[in-house]
Amino acid sequence: MIEAVNLSKRYGPKTAVDGVSFTVEPGRVTGFLGPNGAGKSTTMRMIVGLDRPTTGTVSVNGKPYAQHRSPLSEVGALLDAKAVHTGRTAYSHLHAMALTHGIPKRRVDEVIDLTGLQTVARKRVGGFSLGMGQRLGIAAALLGDPRTLILDEPVNGLDPEGVLWVRNLAKYLASEGRTVFLSSHLMSEVALTADHVIVIGRGRILADAPVQDVVDGSSRRIVRVRSPQASDLAELLTKDGATVDAVEPGLLAVTGPDAASVGELAAAARIVLHELTPVASTLEEAYMALTADSVEYHSEAVGPDGATTDAAVAGHDPAETPAETPATSTHTEGDHR
Amino acid sequence: MSATVPAQGERTASGTASGALARNVTFPRVVASEWVKLWTLRSTWWTLGSTVVLMVGFALLFTVAINAAPPDPEAQEGMRQGMAAGGVTGPTIVSLGYGMAQLVVAVLGALVITGEFSTGMIRSTYAAVPGRLSALWAKLVVLVGVTAVVSALGVTLAYLAVRPLLDDIGFPVDLGDPDHLRSLGGAVLYLVTVAAFSLAVGALLRHTAGSIGLLVAVFFVLPIIFQIIVGASGADWAVDVNAYLPSVAGEQVMAVQTMEGLLEPWTGYSVLAGYTVALLVAAAVTTTRRDA
Repeated sequence: MIEAVNLSKRYGPKTAVDGVSFTVEPGRVTGFLGPNGAGKSTTMRMIVGLDRPTTGTVSVNGKPYAQHRSPLSEVGALLDAKAVHTGRTAYSHLHAMALTHGIPKRRVDEVIDLTGLQTVARKRVGGFSLGMGQRLGIAAALLGDPRTLILDEPVNGLDPEGVLWVRNLAKYLASEGRTVFLSSHLMSEVALTADHVIVIGRGRILADAPVQDVVDGSSRRIVRVRSPQASDLAELLTKDGATVDAVEPGLLAVTGPDAASVGELAAAARIVLHELTPVASTLEEAYMALTADSVEYHSEAVGPDGATTDAAVAGHDPAETPAETPATSTHTEGDHR
Repeated sequence: MSATVPAQGERTASGTASGALARNVTFPRVVASEWVKLWTLRSTWWTLGSTVVLMVGFALLFTVAINAAPPDPEAQEGMRQGMAAGGVTGPTIVSLGYGMAQLVVAVLGALVITGEFSTGMIRSTYAAVPGRLSALWAKLVVLVGVTAVVSALGVTLAYLAVRPLLDDIGFPVDLGDPDHLRSLGGAVLYLVTVAAFSLAVGALLRHTAGSIGLLVAVFFVLPIIFQIIVGASGADWAVDVNAYLPSVAGEQVMAVQTMEGLLEPWTGYSVLAGYTVALLVAAAVTTTRRDA
């Protein structure tokens, strides 16, 4: 259980986190979603007492982190895969960490086995790949068998097998009744892993709800309409207040009215429809809509199909996003960073 | 609560058969952790090994060089008197290597903490020991203990190496003389204090190159500059500042006879110790206040 109340962090004139309040409940995976620079890492560092909040308080399992007498058994944190001395071996790092809490050596071996580091445990961390560093960070987080896990971008640098493993591990830990708080700038990752999501942008909480609610509550409800009289229909719909995009000749993406209204309007005007499909909005779209005004770094990107999109804001043309399969393109999302 | 993660059968879960594994963080446990951290880095072995080699090497080099001078009794006596007038004694020859060894010890002292800041390790350290101060004091305890043992080893080996030659060149060491004993023990005390001083500087600056640069300036460059100024001008202010430089003041604990314009042995050492305590207090204050 993590409880933040009116938490702020300012670095000079820049406000990284701006009065956020939230609760992360045990027994489920809570995603912490936001664009780069939104304040995710700063918030997580404040939870474990590395950064001092400018205002507000945050407690873990009922107490400020620093007041726990055995902090590693309360909270395991992966804040930064590079929070390790590069000159030390993975085993020595974990052993030194374990000694502060009187954790036996066999637990060090356990977390090494658990994270698949057996073959590199005796090698110096300086030579580790990003993925190995990430596994070591997760091993360190699990060392004290903590009730609460804080994982900042845990899948960064992992191969697909590792990503799947982190996902299953996070879900499993939550199923054991632990609190799992996992940040990502990849909406698809959160959609696949988390039960609940807290969306942050420019240091403010934009949404704090079950993943499904965020998807349902999205303002971007789209109906795909295929008609030989597309232009007539588009005119009619626009007059009615809907936003209409001509995706290709004969295919419209309608934002505003639901499928029934579009169908009725078409019937009233005796317009033939070949297709009328409500496109379920995905978490990705919800996220884009929520964070559109709050991204720190905009980027202009040209999509592979030649369509120019403002990557940070729009993502794909909504009509091209497959319906009913929320964001399956887990890894390619990285292109949009 | 041992079980397996679904779809990843060969990996055991996070839970353990024994339940609660972690016990409370205590100062002895933090010291044990810092002990392991120190010895699991190669830089520790390099710096400590160099300390011993420098201590033995300089003493041996000096005595062998003097011994190799032409066997003209008059010339030898003249040289001996000249050196004695410059403050050279048997014990100061034994601990001659401190001048270089202090730089190596300073590097080790700074690295103990700046190495953690440069690599990000400090975040792991503070996450495990959120009180932070016990981590800083544990580093100090381990550093002081290890530096004391290694410096004492260096002085002892240097003494054993040059003892047969010291009598020949007319600079005997008399272990029954309290001033001689204080001088040899003073070399160990001086190096230990330099290590603590350097740890404090490292904790304040949090930067390896910056800390080492500053320490080399304080312990190596400043004394040379002031030696030149004092020698050239003899100005009172220069003599006073020179006497209170951390290195010049602290070194007096190794002096068998006090030279003109310098502090008494224990007064001088107290000045260095005073700087060190002040820096450690400042380091402690900033350690608890700054973000990691």
